[in-house]
Amino acid sequence: MTARPAGVLEAVERVGGVLLRALAVLTFVYLLLPIAVIVGASFTASDFLAFPPRGLTLRWYWTFTQTPGWLDSFTLSLELAAATTGLATAIGVPAALALARSRFRGQRLLSGLFLSPLVLPQVVLGVGLLQYLTLLGIARTFWAILIGHVLLTLPYIIRSVMATLAGVDPALEEAAADLGASPPVAFLTVTLPVIQGGVIAGALFAFVISWTNVEVTMFFTTSRLNPLPVNIMNYIAYNVDPLVAAVSAASVYVSFVVLLLIDATVGLDRFAETRPR
Amino acid sequence: MSDDAVRPRARWRLLLPAVAVMLLFLVPTVASILVGSVVEHKQAPGHPTAENYLRFLGDRYYLGTLGFTLRISLVTTLCALLLGYLVAYYLVRSVRSRAMRRLAYLIVVAPLFTSSIVRSFGWMVSLGNNGIVNRTLLDLGVVERPVRLIFNEAGVVIGLTHVLLPFTVLTIAAVLQQIDVSLEEAAMDLGASRLVTFLTVTLPLSLPGVVAGSLIVFTLAMSAYVTPAVLSGGRLKVVPMLIYEQYVAVYDWGFGGAMAMLLLALTLLLTSVYTRFLRTV
Repeated sequence: MTARPAGVLEAVERVGGVLLRALAVLTFVYLLLPIAVIVGASFTASDFLAFPPRGLTLRWYWTFTQTPGWLDSFTLSLELAAATTGLATAIGVPAALALARSRFRGQRLLSGLFLSPLVLPQVVLGVGLLQYLTLLGIARTFWAILIGHVLLTLPYIIRSVMATLAGVDPALEEAAADLGASPPVAFLTVTLPVIQGGVIAGALFAFVISWTNVEVTMFFTTSRLNPLPVNIMNYIAYNVDPLVAAVSAASVYVSFVVLLLIDATVGLDRFAETRPR
Repeated sequence: MSDDAVRPRARWRLLLPAVAVMLLFLVPTVASILVGSVVEHKQAPGHPTAENYLRFLGDRYYLGTLGFTLRISLVTTLCALLLGYLVAYYLVRSVRSRAMRRLAYLIVVAPLFTSSIVRSFGWMVSLGNNGIVNRTLLDLGVVERPVRLIFNEAGVVIGLTHVLLPFTVLTIAAVLQQIDVSLEEAAMDLGASRLVTFLTVTLPLSLPGVVAGSLIVFTLAMSAYVTPAVLSGGRLKVVPMLIYEQYVAVYDWGFGGAMAMLLLALTLLLTSVYTRFLRTV
């Protein structure tokens, strides 16, 4: 009487296990599909967009490098991402240090303020910034986009560094200070090496957020000031061709270099655990 | 002694750049939408009025768009939760080898590193009548003629779920990882089947991850612009698309600002009600 239900149960569980695996694999395919399709289509030898590609060629990448508009977009986006990373790291790391290592009144309010861009819908951040910076007379400039990206990425760096600091004994830095190290020296020789992982993860993530952002950036672009993702968006509203697939694929390659850098330096699984947001 | 007296002030100084950025840019940004939305209006501009808000709330078209945005966000959140839980559970409980787990994490995180426009473009190419998805379904004999998957609600949900899935996978996986496996083993030793163990032990313990994941996904879905715009071909409007139009094409900043404020308020309201509701349950 007991043998049979147990056998049935076992069979059900085995089927369930296979089903779980199959569904998980299908979801992995779903996650990769649109990226794989764009990268694949960028190599097509045909004059129209095709996936699977018809024949293999690099000619669309060549066309991309020969098109001034696209190339300008590409370098503009690189410059923006680099500037955003530098600024947000320079502002965010000290703030994270102060927040994690001291107690003062209004601390919760302050860290709430620092992290608030996370809950602000990006479109709302974009329009508000457009309105305010128009008042200041710097809307539709490089600076406007840079300010938007810094606001967007600051919370990620602060969180990432704070998460790393949470696992570090403050006594380490105090010992350095007791042994006569000045604050800058203690920071460079003791604190920085310890929080390195959090800083790198936060900085790399900031780079990618800036590199891929559309929702805030699109409010500040002009025909001359046209970062890559926004340029792609405006282009595919009217044409879809292998050239824009090559441009999109190039954007993916830059992102994936950063992704692999995170995997190599911080480790993706650790990054996922302390992942900001 | 003197060190202790100096240090707090030194630390305070570390906060100055961040505080300056927030006070110079973030606070005025939100304030200017708020002020603009009650001051900029067609009749008698300059005096505060609720006109822009009443115009939105009194119009069926706008309310319908808000309802559609809500519906799409809820459906997307549900899809992302289901798939996200599945993948997270598989990742944490079934993937044994380190190399495989690393690969799985790479696949999950990769979309996060890809611009939403590139992903939407990828779906645009994949979901058409001649796209890879329909061709595969036809070849497998699942369908007899191409299914309409793009320029409609289905396309938007497929694309939005893709954009937001990594967030649920990562949040739920982080929580699942912290659950002590011996709890599940104990339940099974006491005779519970795997399914019963999952329903009575694992699932309740993982609820914080489910809650956190769904909050993130819902908030991001409510404010998504690119994916709905591209995958509906502009045919279905969501509130962020209306806001963009008002700011960039119509130049009615007061009305656009009112919509932005309503979107922000509704999102905050729903998420806080949801967390409070869950806390009392």
